[in-house]
Amino acid sequence: MAKKTYDLLFKLLLIGDSGVGKTCILFRFSDDAFTTTFISTIGIDFKIKTVELRGKKIKLQIWDTAGQERFHTITTSYYRGAMGIMLVYDITNEKSFENIVKWLRNIDEHANEDVEKMILGNKCDMSDKRTVSKERGETIAREHGIRFMETSAKANINIDKAFNDLAEAILDKTAGREPGDHVDRVLVDRKQQSNTSRSCCNN
Amino acid sequence: MAYRARLKEFDDVLDQEVIDLKKLKSLSFHGIPDDQGRRALCWRLLLNYLPTDKSQWPLFLQEKRQLYKQFIDEMVVMPGSQEGNGDVTEGDHPLSINPDSQWQTFFKDNEVLLQIDKDVRRLCPDISFFQQPTEFPCQEIVNSNDVKRLHTRVQRSVLKCANVERKGLGITKIALSIKKANEDYAPMTEGKEAHWEVVERILFLYAKLNPGQGYVQGMNEIIGPIYHAFACDPDITFREHAECDSFFCFTNLMSEIRDFFIKSLDETDHGINKMMSRMLVQLKNSDLDVWLKFQQLELKPQFYSFRWITLLLSQEFPLPDVLRIWDTLFSDESRFDFLIYVCCAMIVILRNKLLNGDFPSNLKLLQNFPPMDVQIILSKAVELSKQKN
Repeated sequence: MAKKTYDLLFKLLLIGDSGVGKTCILFRFSDDAFTTTFISTIGIDFKIKTVELRGKKIKLQIWDTAGQERFHTITTSYYRGAMGIMLVYDITNEKSFENIVKWLRNIDEHANEDVEKMILGNKCDMSDKRTVSKERGETIAREHGIRFMETSAKANINIDKAFNDLAEAILDKTAGREPGDHVDRVLVDRKQQSNTSRSCCNN
Repeated sequence: MAYRARLKEFDDVLDQEVIDLKKLKSLSFHGIPDDQGRRALCWRLLLNYLPTDKSQWPLFLQEKRQLYKQFIDEMVVMPGSQEGNGDVTEGDHPLSINPDSQWQTFFKDNEVLLQIDKDVRRLCPDISFFQQPTEFPCQEIVNSNDVKRLHTRVQRSVLKCANVERKGLGITKIALSIKKANEDYAPMTEGKEAHWEVVERILFLYAKLNPGQGYVQGMNEIIGPIYHAFACDPDITFREHAECDSFFCFTNLMSEIRDFFIKSLDETDHGINKMMSRMLVQLKNSDLDVWLKFQQLELKPQFYSFRWITLLLSQEFPLPDVLRIWDTLFSDESRFDFLIYVCCAMIVILRNKLLNGDFPSNLKLLQNFPPMDVQIILSKAVELSKQKN
C-alpha cells in the first residue's frame, strides 16, 4: 500500500445536465487548464486533487458524471458515498437551470441526508449569451438552503473557491468537534459523523 | 514483403465473385491494411451491409442510396423548408397542442437534435478531420440559405441573448449582442458542409428512425470511426456515398450493441451489466490476483469497463488504434465475445502496477489507459481466449 500522504479524504460528485461544463470545471481545478475540445463523458470519470485547509492535507476524490438520463442508474450509485455534491447548470442554457430541481430531487433520493451541496452557474464569462440571471440562481439556492456561486472554467472564475468552500463545509462537519472552529456553521449529525469518518479510512 | 503478401491475401478474397466471409473474417481478425480503402470495403462486408455476391452490389448500393436520399428529404429537407415559410393557414401552427401537429414533432425533434449537436461538436477533438469541409455536401441542404441545416434549428437566437439592464421598475437598456461563432466549429459558408454536420445528420436520422431508442450519448463515438474510414476512401464513388453507407453500417452495428445504450435493458442477457459481469468472471479466470486486488479495493467494473464496452473501446485509444481494434472486433465470429478478452487483456497487461496501486491510482490508470502498441493487447487477448478455464 502506498503511504498515506493526506489527513482526510473527501469524496465529491459533479452532476448536472449534459454540456454544462462539468468536465471543464473539474479539469480547470485539477490541471489548471481549459479546453473547449472535450469528449462527452460516458458513465463516470474520476480525478484526485489534494488541497490544504486549516493546516490539514485533504485529498479530494472527485467523480465526474455523464449528464444524460441513460447514465443515471450508473451515476446515482455514487451519490451514496459522496460527502459533497456540486450541481452545475449553464447560465446560457435555460433548460439546464430548470432541471436543477430535478437534480435536487435525485440527490434527495440517492444521497446521504446531510451531504453538502453547492449549486454552480457555469459559463459566467459568456454574458452576451446569458439567459439565466444571477438572481434566479441565488433565489433557488436560498430556497433550498444551498451554497451558490457563478463560475467560469474558461476564465477561471471561482473554480478553486467553489471546491475550497465545499471542502471547508465538509471539514466543518467532520471536524466540528474542535472548539472554536467556525462554530457558526457547525451542524453535526452523529450518524453522519461516524459514516464519514469511516469512509475516510477506506482508501 | 510480408505486407505485400498480406495485401495479396486480402485481394484474393475480395476479388472473388462471391466473397467468402469466413475467410475474410479470419484475415481481418489480424488487421485490415489501410491501403486503397480495403478497410472501408471489408467493414461494409463484416457489418453485413454489402451482400457477399458482388454481382448484386450495383443494384443494392443504388437502392440503399436512393432510400437514404429519401430519408433526408422526408426528415431533414421538408421539415426545414416548412420552418422557412412558416405557413400557419392549414390549421397547424407552432403553438398547436395537437399531438399530430407537425410543429409538435418539429419541436420534439429539436430536443434530440440539441443533444446530438452538443456531442458531434466534441467528436474526436484530437484530430481536425471532423471540422473540415466534406467534398460531398448534401446539396439540398447547403444551398438553402441555412434554413435546412440541422444545427441552425437548435441555435439559440440572438434576441434571447440581449443584455437587459434594469434600473428601478422599467427596462432601461437593451444591448443587442453580436453573436460570436464557436471558433472551432464555425458554420461553413453557403454550399459547404463540415464532416461533423454530416455525422449530426446521420445520428438525427437514426434517432428519427429508431424512436424507441432515440439518441444516446456515446453513439457519436460509434459512428465517428466508421464515417471517418468511409469518408477517407480513395475510391471517389465510395467516398461520395460515405454518408449513406456509414449510416447503414452504423445501423447494423447498433442492432448488435444497442442494448448497451438502453437503460431498461441493463440487466438483460445482452445488456451492459451482463457484459461487465462476464468480463469480471473472465478476469477471475485469467488473473486471480488482480481480481482479488480489485475485490479488496472495491474497484467495480462499472468504474472503468462501462465505457470500454459501451463504446467498443473507441474512447480509450487514438483513432488509428481504434480502427485496428475494430478490425478484430468486427471479425469476431460471435460478436462481441472477443471484446471481453480484449478488456481483460488490458487489465492483465497492467497487472504489476495494479497489484501495487491503491484505489485512486488504479482507477486513474484504467480510466486513462497508457499509450501502447495495440498489437500487444490484441495478442494478449488471443492468448487469454485460448486458455483453458
